[in-house]
Amino acid sequence: MVQFLQQLINGLSIGSVYALMAVGYSLVYSIMNFSNFAHGGVIMLGAYFGFFSLTLLKLPFVVAFLLASVGTLAVAIIVERIAYKPLRERKAPFLYFIISAMGASILLENIVIATIGPTFRTYPEVFSKVPITLGPLAIGRLDLIIFAISAVCLTLLILFIEKTKIGKAIQAASYNVKACALMGVNTDRVILTVFGLGGFLAGVAGVFFGMKYTVYPQIGNITTKSFIAAVFGGLGSLPGAVLGSVILGTIETFVAGYLSSQFRDLIAFVILIAVLVLRPTGIMGKVTEDKA
Amino acid sequence: MLEVQNLHVAYGGIRALKGVSLSVQKGEIVTIIGANGAGKSTLLNTISGFLKPVRGSVLYNGSALPRRPDLIVKSGICHVPEGRLIFANLSVQDNLMLGAYLRNDKKAIQADLEKVFAIFPRLKEREEQRAGTLSGGEQQMLAMGRALMTNGEFILMDEPSLGLAPLLVQTVFEIIERFRSMGKTILLVEQNAFKALQVADRAYILEQGKIVKEGSARELARDPAVKEAYLGSRSRGGG
Repeated sequence: MVQFLQQLINGLSIGSVYALMAVGYSLVYSIMNFSNFAHGGVIMLGAYFGFFSLTLLKLPFVVAFLLASVGTLAVAIIVERIAYKPLRERKAPFLYFIISAMGASILLENIVIATIGPTFRTYPEVFSKVPITLGPLAIGRLDLIIFAISAVCLTLLILFIEKTKIGKAIQAASYNVKACALMGVNTDRVILTVFGLGGFLAGVAGVFFGMKYTVYPQIGNITTKSFIAAVFGGLGSLPGAVLGSVILGTIETFVAGYLSSQFRDLIAFVILIAVLVLRPTGIMGKVTEDKA
Repeated sequence: MLEVQNLHVAYGGIRALKGVSLSVQKGEIVTIIGANGAGKSTLLNTISGFLKPVRGSVLYNGSALPRRPDLIVKSGICHVPEGRLIFANLSVQDNLMLGAYLRNDKKAIQADLEKVFAIFPRLKEREEQRAGTLSGGEQQMLAMGRALMTNGEFILMDEPSLGLAPLLVQTVFEIIERFRSMGKTILLVEQNAFKALQVADRAYILEQGKIVKEGSARELARDPAVKEAYLGSRSRGGG
């Protein structure tokens, strides 16, 4: 029982980091109908921004954390402006967006390899490694903090989408971009907002990922997992992305904890694929019924 | 109020409009009649900024329209698109409030919402329901109500009666007249030429991207060539 609870907490912690990444994929997909693979590169940069803010600039954690997130917000918007906007203006087919996204991802990775180098870097110890004991449970401080901050970020994101005017416009655009423009919505601004939100959370996720593991130029590849979690939850649906990520994170830690970490990805993905075969739209797939 | 001058539009290698000119005066209902593929929707999509003309211009109240769809809405033109394009994933109320996206006058928005509910009591009943669960007729009501919420004075309507049961078609045309009595100016694209000519003041016949005939709706409804091509021998026409 104790082991079960501990694994669950670990699973929720890593699942919440996946969720921060997955909502970025999902937000862009919901409006532009393509998978923004450059998102992985942005997350990787977030991990580096956080790392250098702590080590080179010796900033306090909160400041480094915010700096990394604002930095990735800017990078996400720059990527949109350079890699996608020209395609949008020419009404290019979606395949071109995906190719452009992959190009941007490879570019970001190689910029880092060329300038910073391919070595693995370890975050300095920000939070004490001594776990918090709760009766028989020993919970890692970092896991707890990651889970709490991620949960706050995701809640704020959902409130933003549900309660604000631009949030409603994002929902409307996810259903039909043209109709959204007919309401007087500047859809270019909606797209920027979506990239900005995804970019900011990419920074949060990158820092946490870096702190939990290490920082290296290929982190972006691991974020593919969060993309798959978003597909699993129902691409285009925010609650789906969160749910898919938490499930993936939990399955992963349980497999690693009870079986072997070598089976972790294998079993996690077999389960995901099985669910997708049974339910191709994912758990909470985008609503598409329209009687008109 | 709206003046389309020598408009040429091409997309995908097809010249969809080949020098269309027309005008709509304040308070008028003007209809554009034409077969499928004549360029009717292209014309409306160009006016509302989704397509860029190769040549020609659209003047609104004497000045050229901005280039972006949202700015065109801001200048007072709203477009009820073909196929309604309501936001099926959002509630009826959210759909209507999105119509008022550019407005900040809370009291006036509330008053307009009441007005929309007075015209379409069905929407009031279904206020909290997801718009995707509405029937086709109700979705058309919602699309029209959403247009009222923009508070634009000029309304473009693309095939509002398409796919609706005859009784609902009648309702849609009654609502169009009601819009006019509220001071709106309407440019109506319809396949149901019979009904459109009944409700309109003036009409243009569009064939293969060109205006081939124009005149008062009454005149055109009696024109033998128009009768032959668009009204059908059995006088029901449309469809």
